[in-house]
Amino acid sequence: MWLVVASVCIYLTGFRFYAKFIAAKVMALDNTRATPAERLRDGHDFEPTNKWIVFGHHFAAIAGPGPLVGPTLAAQFGYLPGTLWIIIGAVIGGCVQDFVILFCSMRRDGKSLGQMAREEIGRVGGFTALLTVLLIMIILLAVVALVVVNALKGSPWGTFTIAATMPIAVLMGLYLRYWRPGKVLECSVLGFVLVVASIFGGQWVSQSPAWAPWFTLSGIALAWAVIVYGFFASALPVWLLLAPRDYLSTFVKLGVVLMLGVGILFVRPELKMPAYTQFVDGTGPIFAGKIFPFCFITIACGAISGFHSLISSGTTPKMIAREWHAWPVGYGSMALESFVAVMAMIAACVMQPGIYFAVNSPAGIVGAAPEQAVATITSWGYPVDVPAMTELARDVGEETLFNRTGGAPSLALGMAHIFASSGGGKAILGFWYHFAIMFEALFILTIIDAGTRVGRFMLQDLLGHLHKPLGRTGWLPGVIGASAAVVLAWGYFLVQGVRDPLGGINSLWPLFGIANQLLAAIALCVATTVLIKMHRARYMWITCIPLAWLVVVCYTAAIQKIFSGLPRVGFLAQAEQLRTALESGKIAAAQAAATRQQIFNNQLDAAVCAIFLILVTTILADSIRLWIGILSGNREGRVTESPFVLSQLRAEEL
Amino acid sequence: MRRLAAVARLLLGLLRELADESAYRRHLAAHGAAHSPEEWRRFCDRRLRAKYHRAKCC
Repeated sequence: MWLVVASVCIYLTGFRFYAKFIAAKVMALDNTRATPAERLRDGHDFEPTNKWIVFGHHFAAIAGPGPLVGPTLAAQFGYLPGTLWIIIGAVIGGCVQDFVILFCSMRRDGKSLGQMAREEIGRVGGFTALLTVLLIMIILLAVVALVVVNALKGSPWGTFTIAATMPIAVLMGLYLRYWRPGKVLECSVLGFVLVVASIFGGQWVSQSPAWAPWFTLSGIALAWAVIVYGFFASALPVWLLLAPRDYLSTFVKLGVVLMLGVGILFVRPELKMPAYTQFVDGTGPIFAGKIFPFCFITIACGAISGFHSLISSGTTPKMIAREWHAWPVGYGSMALESFVAVMAMIAACVMQPGIYFAVNSPAGIVGAAPEQAVATITSWGYPVDVPAMTELARDVGEETLFNRTGGAPSLALGMAHIFASSGGGKAILGFWYHFAIMFEALFILTIIDAGTRVGRFMLQDLLGHLHKPLGRTGWLPGVIGASAAVVLAWGYFLVQGVRDPLGGINSLWPLFGIANQLLAAIALCVATTVLIKMHRARYMWITCIPLAWLVVVCYTAAIQKIFSGLPRVGFLAQAEQLRTALESGKIAAAQAAATRQQIFNNQLDAAVCAIFLILVTTILADSIRLWIGILSGNREGRVTESPFVLSQLRAEEL
Repeated sequence: MRRLAAVARLLLGLLRELADESAYRRHLAAHGAAHSPEEWRRFCDRRLRAKYHRAKCC
C-alpha cells in the first residue's frame, strides 16, 4: 500500500510542479492560440474534443503489454530497483518526452515524428527515424508473439479461449457491418459476454479427454499458428477481424486496469519478493545482465517508451482543443501508464519468490524436471516445492507452471491472486488466471495484426520506388508478397525465440528494450532541436537529461549484448561457445544442424543490435551538429511552427 | 448528484469516442447525411484505413 501511496504522491508532485513549469516557462502554452483541431477542423481527424476524453483516448492508445510484462520480468532484481526506475524514469523522462512531442506536433498541424525529424533535423534524420520504426516493429512483433506463445504452450484452456476470440471478432465484424451498423458499444458488450463464455468453454475443453489434445499445442506449433494468423489478419479487410477485436481489447484493457487498481487498494496485498535479490549481479535466471543497464532496458514502456512519441504525434494532437490540455493529456497519461507498471510490479511480487522464479525460469537454466527446478531455485534461497507448484497449477487449470517464461503467466497468476482475494478465493482462481491470460493475449494479437499491416504499408511504400505496382496497397500480389515478407521477418525471430534453450526472452526482450528506448532517444533529439530553435536553449536540460541517460543505458546495453565475454549476455560470445562445442564434438550429430542455426541466430541478433546503434548514432550526430551550429550562431535555427491564429472556440464547444 | 451525472456523461463520452461512435456522429453532421448502413460502411472504410495505417503502441 505504501508503494501505491508513494508513487501517486510523486506523480502528482511531478505533474503539479515539474510539468506545469515545462508548460508555462519552457513551452509557453497559450490558450488563445487556435490548435490544429480548431483551425483544420474536418469532422474526421481534426476535432476539438473534451480534454478528459482526449486523456482517456490517449491513455488507451499508449497502454500496451510493455508496462505489464517489463516490470514482471524485472522483478527478478527485487521489487525496489524496477519500481524506482518506473517512477523516476516516468516523471523525468517518459512523461516529459510524451508531453514535449505532443506539444511539438500540436504546433505543427499534427505532424508525425518522422515528418518532424525530417523538417527539424534534416533528411538523414527523417529517413533514419522511419527505418528505425520499421526495424523496431519487427522485433516488437516477434517478442510480443513470443509472450503469447509461451503463455499458451501446453495449455488447452488458454489456447481454446484465445482461438475462440477469432470467430467472436469475425461475428462482431459482421454484426457491425451488416446487422447493426454503427452500434459499436452494443456489439462490444456482446463480444465481451461471448469472450467470458469462451473462458468457461476453455475449462470444459481442458477437462475433456476428446477435445483437450486438439488444443494442447507445443511452442513451435503455436508459433506457426500465430505466424499464419498474422499473415491472414494483415491481408483481410480490417472491419472483419482487426477493428472489432481492437474495440473489444481497448474496453477490456481499460476495465482490467481499473479492476487491478481497485483490487490492489481493496486487498492491500503483501509483497513477498525482497526489495532486491542477489541477481542484481547479472546472474538472473530470467534474463542475464547486471542491474545496470538491464533493469532500465527491461522496463521500457512503464518508464519511457519511444513508441509513445508515435502516438503523441499521431491522433492526439489533432483532438486537443486548447493548448493547456496537452498538460494532463501528454504528461498525465504517461504518469497513469507508469502507475499501471507499478501495479504490474506489485502483481508480480505478491507471489512467493520461489513460485515466481519457478514460473519464469527457462528449462535451460533451472532444469526441465520439476524436482531439478525446485532444487535449483531453493538453493538460491527461495524455497519452493513440487507439491505446492502442482497444487497451484491444478488451481488455475494448468498441467504445469514450470518454465512458463515470457512474463504473461506469472503476471496472470499475480492478477488472479489479487482478484480472487477480493472475493471467491481459490474456487475462482482458474477463471481469473485465464481471464488475465485472455486480456494479455487479446491486445497482443491486436498489436500483431495492426503491426504487420503497418509494416506491410511501409514495405510497399519502399518497394513502390523500385516497381510502381508493388507500392499499390490494393494490388493483390503486392499485398500478399509484402504481408508474407513482414510476417516471415518477425516470424523468424519468433521461431528462434521459441527454440532458444534460454527461453527466447533472454535475447529478444533486451533487443526490444534497446530498440524502443533508442526510438525515445530519437524523439528527444527532435524535442531538443525544437527547444533550441524556440530560443529556449537554457531549458534544453529538460530533454537532454533523459536523452543523455538513455544514450548511456542503451549504448552500454547494446555493446554488452554484442561484445560481452559472458555467453548468456553477449550474442557473439554465445555463438563462439556453441561453435567451440560443435567443433570439439561435444554436441551430438543429431543436434549439429540446430546448433549451427543457433550460432547464426546469435550473430544475426548481434547484427540487429549493431544496426540500431548505427542508426541512432547517425541521428544523434546529425542533431548535435545542428545544435552546435545554431548555438554558435553559424546556422539559422528557424522555427517551423504554424502561424499564430486567435482561437474562436467557445467554452460550451468543449 | 449533478457531479455524478457529469462523470457518467464524461465516461459515456469516452466510451463513444473510443468506439468511434462520436466520430460517426461528427461525420454525419459534417456531410449533412442521415444514418444508414451504407453511410456507416463508407465512414468505417475511411476511418479504419487511416486508423490502421499507424502502428499500435507496445
